[in-house]
Amino acid sequence: MSAEMANEIKLISGRSHPELSDKIAKRLGIEVARTISLNYSNQETSFTVGESVRDEDVFIVQSTATGDVNEGLMELLIMISACRTASARRITAVIPNFPYARQDKKDKSRAPISARLVANMLQTAGANHIVTVDLHASQIQGFFSVPVDNLYAEPSFLRYIRENFNSEDCVIVSPDAGGAKRATSIADHLNTAFALIHKERPRPNVVGRMVLVGNVEDKVAILVDDMADTCGTLVKAAAVLKENGAKSVLALVTHGILSGNAIETLNGSVLSALVVTNTVPLGDKVQRCPKLRVIDISPTIAEAIRRTHNGESVSYLFTHAPV
Amino acid sequence: MRGTLIFSGTSCPSLTKKICENLGMAPAEAELTQFSNGETSVRILTSVREKDVFVVQSGSPKINDTIMELLIMISACKGGSASKITAVLPYFPYSRQSKKKSHRGAITARMLANLLGVAGVKHVVTVDLHASQMQGFFKCPVDNLHAEPLIARWIRHNVPDWKEAVVVSKNAGGTKRVTSLADALKLNFGMVTTDKKRGPNMTASMIMNHLDGIERQPVLDPISNQVRTTSTETQNGSSEATNAQPQDSRTVADDQGSPRPVVNGTRSRSASNPKPIPTRSQTTLSQSSVIDEVDEETEGDGLEYNDQRAHEVIHGRLVEGHIVPDDFVSPAESVAGTEIPDEDPMVMSHASSFFAPQSHALGGSGDAAASSDEEEEILKPKVEHMITLVGDVKGRSVFIVDDMIDKPGSWIAAAETVAKRGSAKKVYCIATHGVFGGDCLEQMQACECIDTIVVTNSYPIPEEKARRASKLVVLDLSFLLAEAIRRNHYGESMSPLFQHVLDS
Repeated sequence: MSAEMANEIKLISGRSHPELSDKIAKRLGIEVARTISLNYSNQETSFTVGESVRDEDVFIVQSTATGDVNEGLMELLIMISACRTASARRITAVIPNFPYARQDKKDKSRAPISARLVANMLQTAGANHIVTVDLHASQIQGFFSVPVDNLYAEPSFLRYIRENFNSEDCVIVSPDAGGAKRATSIADHLNTAFALIHKERPRPNVVGRMVLVGNVEDKVAILVDDMADTCGTLVKAAAVLKENGAKSVLALVTHGILSGNAIETLNGSVLSALVVTNTVPLGDKVQRCPKLRVIDISPTIAEAIRRTHNGESVSYLFTHAPV
Repeated sequence: MRGTLIFSGTSCPSLTKKICENLGMAPAEAELTQFSNGETSVRILTSVREKDVFVVQSGSPKINDTIMELLIMISACKGGSASKITAVLPYFPYSRQSKKKSHRGAITARMLANLLGVAGVKHVVTVDLHASQMQGFFKCPVDNLHAEPLIARWIRHNVPDWKEAVVVSKNAGGTKRVTSLADALKLNFGMVTTDKKRGPNMTASMIMNHLDGIERQPVLDPISNQVRTTSTETQNGSSEATNAQPQDSRTVADDQGSPRPVVNGTRSRSASNPKPIPTRSQTTLSQSSVIDEVDEETEGDGLEYNDQRAHEVIHGRLVEGHIVPDDFVSPAESVAGTEIPDEDPMVMSHASSFFAPQSHALGGSGDAAASSDEEEEILKPKVEHMITLVGDVKGRSVFIVDDMIDKPGSWIAAAETVAKRGSAKKVYCIATHGVFGGDCLEQMQACECIDTIVVTNSYPIPEEKARRASKLVVLDLSFLLAEAIRRNHYGESMSPLFQHVLDS
């Protein structure tokens, strides 16, 4: 980056998603900082920064791998705390998929608002700034008293659709009422039709009855959502769309969490493709699921880091995806 | 108790049940599960509005999950308008990371204290914190209970010759804990210390000495003289002297005692004996030397030990975590002189920045907890250490005491030292928290020098594992914790819980 020594970007990577950190570092033309991260025999996490971060602008990249959410979160907190103790000037937590984002409201008696707890924990550990991608609910930004930059995968998705499909043949479909806004935004940018599937959800991760609102006949139906977890919703929605005469169905999803039997569910579904970004480490899932395509989101994150560091506006990234 | 709810985390349902039995109530209902993506889900199934809520959570092999669960439970209770939330943590997680021990490490225990505060805790009850200074990390009150009265009581009831026994600390950092138990039982105490400073160099020179005992003299004596001069000049600066003369730290260590000729012969032996090293390595009970200075140095916090308790200094060689005969050929021999005593690549990348000062600090800079945290890392294979036993344990029962048993290395080394070198009659390994990482319990069970392992149920031990360990004795903490909860709820004093009950 800049030639002057003082206050440079220090990119620190957690253990959950080193590939993403490497890509971001490459994009920024810097090296990932040397760190030591290990677990004691009793599984307590220990972390040490291998180089000075005094008065530096520290960016800590930690996604949370499926099944290891708490492990990744604790490691992130310890990393932040270590950098705070080591006199970093500013600590930005880059959390592409925000953990516990779905536990964001007291929807039942005594239900914990875990997303707020995570927000408070990050600030308590010493984070000065948060960079994330496609928060499940933008209100989570309000849980923080530090700035939160919520980046969008939408520009990347728009490019993907434009490059691979004739947008006149497409219908953008939201698999639930909550995602209607996200879907209409993409539909507006592409000047295409829009449809919505209403679902009843008796319990988390269980999908009930589905009703299609809108017309998808002889069109390429593109389901848009912020996360694909067990993929039950997506696969059922795809089946509903097929039943209603869609030519083919694919899904564009920001966070491919893909837990449980998601891969098997996908392989046996009518979905022609599931396109996810690399916010979540996918491991061997790409090999196990031929329908899975990955869009690299690291240019957007790297550019956000660069702009944050230089004090430039990040707004550009809300509408444009750096190549 | 009216208006009280006790929730149990997934880590310790049986302990919570026992606590509740003591209080004549049932644990409050909560559904603790994980979503398929690994996020923790908490549902509090009973009203907590205006209730005095206690959440019991210990450690577990999935410690980070356990912590998140605790934090979410607390947060859920706070969101459910509980009047006060108390976290009951018999084992405080991350308590060993309570200081910035290397460059740019995190003080995770402090962070955890802050996280608990953020989640909504108004009070913390815990047992035997690794460092009692950690109470200062919290903004809310902390009750740090002691398991010591319980342990002392067990000893009085179950060890037939406890009045003749010796309490031994297995490292300098834990000596304070040991003296407290020793004082409570009015017993003598001793100490086992592993010397990091004696690296492969010493091994090489020692093996050389064994091979040809004559040629060594012209090589070693000038160094020995030089070092002695240094340490005599800087009376208290022997650790600096060690750093200055790393090529033969063994000789330096010998000289720590010698500048003060309190016992006849000590000084003259190391100064004039043509074979100082073989003599020293074969030191037995009959050869005593003065350890006053070593002792003061390792303590460094003003505790007075210069009485007759610690008469004996016994050395042993520790290779790959076990006591070996003096003529044992160390595997480190081949790389002697070049290797930094640690092969872990992660640590190696920092070796230059913090490993050296660390070994210097071991000489006894008085940082009470330092050595007990880091000592495990030293006991790496292929590295030879000098292990030293201070105190007379011959024919007596020995209680090796620390606050937790996690890795077996130092316990087995200490047990072998007191049993093989010190001729102890029986060896009891006693700790509050039986963390037993990895196959620690199995290894300790297999060690023939250890007779009994005593821990409390502060950290859950899988039943299956406990059954297979015939040497294991688990003391029940539930009464102590229940009493702490009851006194907290009614606003009574905690002080009686710290006192020893002399019921024997």
